[in-house]
Amino acid sequence: MPEPSPIHPASSVLRDRFQRPSWLSSGLFALFLGFFLWSLAGAGMSLQSLIQGLPNMGTIVGEMFPPATDRAQPILEAILVTFQMALVGTVIGVILSIPMALLAARNTSPHPIVRYVTRSIISFVRTVPDLAWALFFVVSVGLGPFAGTLTIIVDTIGFCGRFFAEAFEEVDPGPSEALDSIGSRPLDRIAVVQIPGALPSMINTGLFSLEKAVRSSVVLGLVGAGGIGAELAVSMEMFRYDQAAFIIFAIFILVYIVEHFSSRLRERLLNQIR
Amino acid sequence: MNPIAQPLVQHGPVAPSVLSDSLQVEGLSKHFKGTEKSVFRDVSFSINEGQSVALIGANGAGKSTLLRCCVRLIEPDSGKVSLSGEDLSSKSGRALKKARNRVGFVFQKHCLVPRLSALTNVLHGNLAHCSGPRNWAQSFARQEDRQRALDCLEQVGLADFAYQRCDQLSGGQSQRVAIARALMQEPRILFADEPTASLDPQSGELVMDLFGRLSRSRNLTVFFVSHHVEHALHYADRILGLRSSELQLDSASHSESAASLREFYA
Ligand SMILES: Nc1ncnc2c1ncn2[C@@H]1O[C@H](COP(=O)(O)OP(=O)(O)O)[C@@H](O)[C@H]1O
Ligand SMILES: [Mg+2]
Repeated sequence: MPEPSPIHPASSVLRDRFQRPSWLSSGLFALFLGFFLWSLAGAGMSLQSLIQGLPNMGTIVGEMFPPATDRAQPILEAILVTFQMALVGTVIGVILSIPMALLAARNTSPHPIVRYVTRSIISFVRTVPDLAWALFFVVSVGLGPFAGTLTIIVDTIGFCGRFFAEAFEEVDPGPSEALDSIGSRPLDRIAVVQIPGALPSMINTGLFSLEKAVRSSVVLGLVGAGGIGAELAVSMEMFRYDQAAFIIFAIFILVYIVEHFSSRLRERLLNQIR
Repeated sequence: MNPIAQPLVQHGPVAPSVLSDSLQVEGLSKHFKGTEKSVFRDVSFSINEGQSVALIGANGAGKSTLLRCCVRLIEPDSGKVSLSGEDLSSKSGRALKKARNRVGFVFQKHCLVPRLSALTNVLHGNLAHCSGPRNWAQSFARQEDRQRALDCLEQVGLADFAYQRCDQLSGGQSQRVAIARALMQEPRILFADEPTASLDPQSGELVMDLFGRLSRSRNLTVFFVSHHVEHALHYADRILGLRSSELQLDSASHSESAASLREFYA
């Protein structure tokens, strides 16, 4: 009887520890390495400046303590405005995102062209950075929180529009087909199948988007779009590092509270819907 | 106590006592594009009001396709279908949708909205007749519609589960809620495509019992696809068999034996 032949004849032979990379991959790697070294200079990396800067950092941090409470009232008011901008912007943004997402989702869109156009609008809105939107709105509606709120609205549409649409597309098509077979209208099916089906995911996305808006509205003030950012910029520019420390601490508290409540609320709402 | 065993109350429009055609199919053919042979050719039959008819056939014989072609959920290539004397073949768009609103459909999967209550899901049957927020959720509904939805649940023995979320119901209970949703439409005819296929044998019997009972108490026409010889024999007045693209069997169920029917599943 012949000896059965091995299934993988070569597997018993050890290969070399390292295999010679192809010329192409070696070439690409060398190119990448060269570009990275060049980028180090381009990014202004300099150990010398870092070392020279260390005493400055030490002085600033030293001057931050104890934080100054002399401007506590206007700062806390600015913090409140920051939160109000984020809240109003997110709520309006979420409300506007729902019809946008319905037009953009494969299973609810009235026509492929409508779907393509809305998708493109949502992607465009999302790709432009929020500070660029803020600058645009400051120029169009003037300095102040209204420009910031508009920025948050647009930002929320870019974010929620996309994820709501994905949530609608993931809803089980069975119930919708069943209701279609008895002659119901598309709008009714959206209301009773797609919206309830996507609701948990929408709540998740909406609350996440509120957290995102709070963090984002903190910096919008740097370009004059209202909120606490302006206070921070002024304190830094006037070398009032102790005031700046108080502002940073207040921002930290705000972000912490919002994230904490948002996760509590998320759990409660998800357990309740019926 | 079995909740289904309660006597059924008569609801909805009472059917006229004269025997009339509920569903009439003439020369129906369907061939899917890009496939080798027709699913079925030149199928004709008619079903009387209040009759309960089973459609049997092997996997892939075209039972589901035939059922859907009857209301043009799938468009047949040729043939004529009338529902209660109304010709569906020439209708389009709105008129076709309107003709479908007295046709109840129960599928293999129950197709309920999982997060909503049984009562709300039953209420959705009303969307066949009127659109708008009144029929989106039981909390917005008119009092008489809520009552009617509850009555429909009562008829399938699930009134106690009205406020339960549908994802907390068993497979058999869900299928019965789906039947209650179809009853909410006050249908003239009820189509069911293997309604027991995803259920355990006991729940399956319960569901079939329910169809039999509804057919008798409401004079409802029931046309169901079954993969169960026993169900066809026991619950149908009449059996249609689809084989080799043709309707090869059309006879009263009491004149058939289980052995002869089994050949249709080969
Ligand atoms: N949309 C479709 N396109 C092409 N072929 C289809 C389509 N739907 C069903 N078929 C084919 O038609 C035949 C009948 O299918 P179906 O009606 O589902 O059978 P049954 O319900 O009896 O198991 C099968 O061969 C199936 O592959
Ligand atoms: Mg089938």
